[in-house]
Amino acid sequence: MMDTITNFSPLSSLSPECSRRRFLGVSGVLVLGASLPVQRALGQTAAPTTFAPNLWLAIDGDGTVRATVHRSEMGQGIRTALTQVIADELDADWSRVEVVQAQGDVKYGDQNTDGSRSITQNYDRLRAAGATARLMLRQAAAKHWGVAVDTVRAGNHEVVHAASGRRLGYGELASQAAMLPVPENAPLKKETEHRYIGKPVTHVDAGDIARGKGTFGADFSLPNMATAVVVRCPWLGGGVKSIANKPTDEPGLVAIETLDAAPSAGPVFAPLGGVGVVAEDTWTAMRVAQGLNIEWTGSPNQTFDSNELRHALRDAVAKPGTPVPGSEKGDVDAVFAAGGTELSATYETPFLSHAPMEPPVAVADVTEERCVVHAPLQDPQSARPMIAAQAGLTPDKVEVTPTLLGGAFGRKSKPDFALEAVELSKRVKRPVRVQWLREDDIRHDYLHASSAQHHRAVIDDEGKPTAWLQRSAFPSITTVFAAQAVQPAPWELEMGFSNLPYTVANQRMESAGIRPGARVGWLRSVCNIFHAFSANVFADEMASAVGRDPIEHRLSLIPASGKLKQPGQPAPPGHELDFARLRHVIERVRKLSDWDSPRPEGVGLGFAVHHSFRSYVATVLEASMANGRPRVSNAYVVLDCGTYVNPDTCVAQMEGAVVFGLSLSLYGDIALKEGAVVQSNFHDYPMLRIAEAPATKVELVPAQGRLPAGVGEPGVPPVAPALSNALFAATGTRHRTLPIRA
Amino acid sequence: MGHKLNVNGDAVDIDVSGDTPLLWVLRDHLGLTGTKYGCGGGYCGACTVHVDGAATRSCQLPVSTLPGKAIRTIETLEDRHPALVKTWIDNNVAQCGYCQSGQLMSASALLDGNPKPTDADIDAAMTGNICRCGTYVRIRAAIRQAAGQTAAGGAG
Repeated sequence: MMDTITNFSPLSSLSPECSRRRFLGVSGVLVLGASLPVQRALGQTAAPTTFAPNLWLAIDGDGTVRATVHRSEMGQGIRTALTQVIADELDADWSRVEVVQAQGDVKYGDQNTDGSRSITQNYDRLRAAGATARLMLRQAAAKHWGVAVDTVRAGNHEVVHAASGRRLGYGELASQAAMLPVPENAPLKKETEHRYIGKPVTHVDAGDIARGKGTFGADFSLPNMATAVVVRCPWLGGGVKSIANKPTDEPGLVAIETLDAAPSAGPVFAPLGGVGVVAEDTWTAMRVAQGLNIEWTGSPNQTFDSNELRHALRDAVAKPGTPVPGSEKGDVDAVFAAGGTELSATYETPFLSHAPMEPPVAVADVTEERCVVHAPLQDPQSARPMIAAQAGLTPDKVEVTPTLLGGAFGRKSKPDFALEAVELSKRVKRPVRVQWLREDDIRHDYLHASSAQHHRAVIDDEGKPTAWLQRSAFPSITTVFAAQAVQPAPWELEMGFSNLPYTVANQRMESAGIRPGARVGWLRSVCNIFHAFSANVFADEMASAVGRDPIEHRLSLIPASGKLKQPGQPAPPGHELDFARLRHVIERVRKLSDWDSPRPEGVGLGFAVHHSFRSYVATVLEASMANGRPRVSNAYVVLDCGTYVNPDTCVAQMEGAVVFGLSLSLYGDIALKEGAVVQSNFHDYPMLRIAEAPATKVELVPAQGRLPAGVGEPGVPPVAPALSNALFAATGTRHRTLPIRA
Repeated sequence: MGHKLNVNGDAVDIDVSGDTPLLWVLRDHLGLTGTKYGCGGGYCGACTVHVDGAATRSCQLPVSTLPGKAIRTIETLEDRHPALVKTWIDNNVAQCGYCQSGQLMSASALLDGNPKPTDADIDAAMTGNICRCGTYVRIRAAIRQAAGQTAAGGAG
């Protein structure tokens, strides 16, 4: 049955990190997409030494396996996990596997590293890729020995004929395997045969990172490269009117370039424009940029005020909005009119900035023939045609290679910063690195949307809602993509709003949108942040209104079995919200947190649960007030993400999600006045620091055999409501607005 | 003008303006890119190096103030702190890894002065280093392990 896996000790990892596993930034040279052997395809007769049966792996004559990872590494461990999948089915020796980072190329299929779906989308195909190669190696060995294929087996980088005791290494077999036709439907291993999948493997980049050798965006350089800092208009859509003091004789200054302004509405990923200061080194560029006196042109966004937006969002949820199609059940209004114990509450959340530790940065080299970009991009493939257009080239002349991403959280899905580097390289005719300063990052982000929710319910004696009306209002991400867009998109509402998993006979959901005067974008778990916050706190309010235990109460709202039928688009088969799995993580977090044991006076436990990115997460936080500030002493998290590849990574992502969630719960607050972001750096946009980080226990539900689901994002949504509920339990004060300051 | 520095035991002569922060000297002029830019304001600790053994924010140090001082960076940390680097790897501390050079430089300076730190000591010494991925619980565990102690855990 389901065993408990608690905080894996990575010391038990299968192998230590391997120094040979370098971040190879080249692909497409030997890793062939075609199934034809390399040299035969070229009309040569000599046997090829590299066996590359598909896009995902190549085996050299010396036995080195090169696994191609087409997703971007931003801390979620994807370079390790995808390699685990390939190497497992290949039965490769982990110490002989190197990771090759793929360039952006449509041949790989979707490379957009967001939505917590890299494993979900690639688990089956990468298993098949590895299994295909393993079968071909067996076929090659069997042919060589003149025995039947089913008499030889593969294991740990070699093929063995047990009857005769003969064995051949993968490297020795590479040439012959490369001559074979690529079979279809190669058999996959049984789950019990997995050697890397489901095991805690040390991250492939861990050694480089701990030695300062990892190559992040700013660490990549090209000969004769210049560095640029761009001064951008404080408001979206403004351009350069004049530069009052253009220096000309500054040592090390290369150029001062005026860049076109982005559209004031629907900018998509266009660079914001401004003044690019290109210099021989970063400090010169920073110093000159800081000294510029620039007058900007106006834009309709110049009057944007986030406080006014918050009032407007609050007003929007105080009145009927646009009903979510298919969400209405029974007759909410009739129940409200009939009276009873009624609860209503309004919740508010602010704009947030991603603030990855690595600010946006990109290196571009544009010539008349080609364009090369190295940058921390979440989606090098979709960036490629945009880069081509900026460079004035066709996409086939453009190479886009992701470096390691020093955090991203959705920010680096947008390649605006890479386009700046391309434009400046084109202008100054040499390689250019564009380095965003932290101030640029905080002030010119694609902000996580500010929001308001209103919940109203009539509850019975057990706190169960007989009627539940919920409204959500926020500036939609679609406003970035279309100048006329206003309403939240269905996919935004499906993030924890229209797919509320509780049994209610009478229910209505309404939404409203408002166009913001700033770019909004997706931040780790997106709309789930505010939807999980309001729904979980409101449920807690229902429980407390009748004096019920919050977990007992919550379980009473969830059916014992079955799957949620959500309004709108049904979930993909196998990924429907399964009530039993939701209940299971709740039951387990109750046990893990020792929920039923009383805490000292002034210390409270708060519970929240949320289903997002196809995964189930239940979180309990233990909190109190200390010196007028919330203090979280312990965190307990249970994750069911279906089949997992690297359990230690899953645990780490939950640990990190607690910290990420607490940062936004306690500090995250971006304000805009006169179109400009008020905050600028970590002194006024603080992050949680180590002394505030709670001890964290994580349990991973073993669910191998189920479809693999998301891990990077789903730990975040339950944190803020669990904190609010814990502080209510500790102090009796209800917090309905984020951040919770005191 | 030229500035004579001692970086990782090597004497180097750097020709930059005296107000250039050490961070950019290391990264742009010496190719030591393990030290990271995170905020430029001394808030985040990504640029932490050792100056005469003390964990110091290199983004705040004009190069003109550094002649005669011994500067050490992440690139040579393993020579002096192999156990710390090993526990960092073995515990899979890093997520994105961008802040970890700074975390390791702060952690090693702590251990140099306090070989058996408590969790409270760790929190105090590491509070200047932000990790946006939230690896703090593993940072505590790895430091304690490197110090030969069993990991204890939570907020002190």
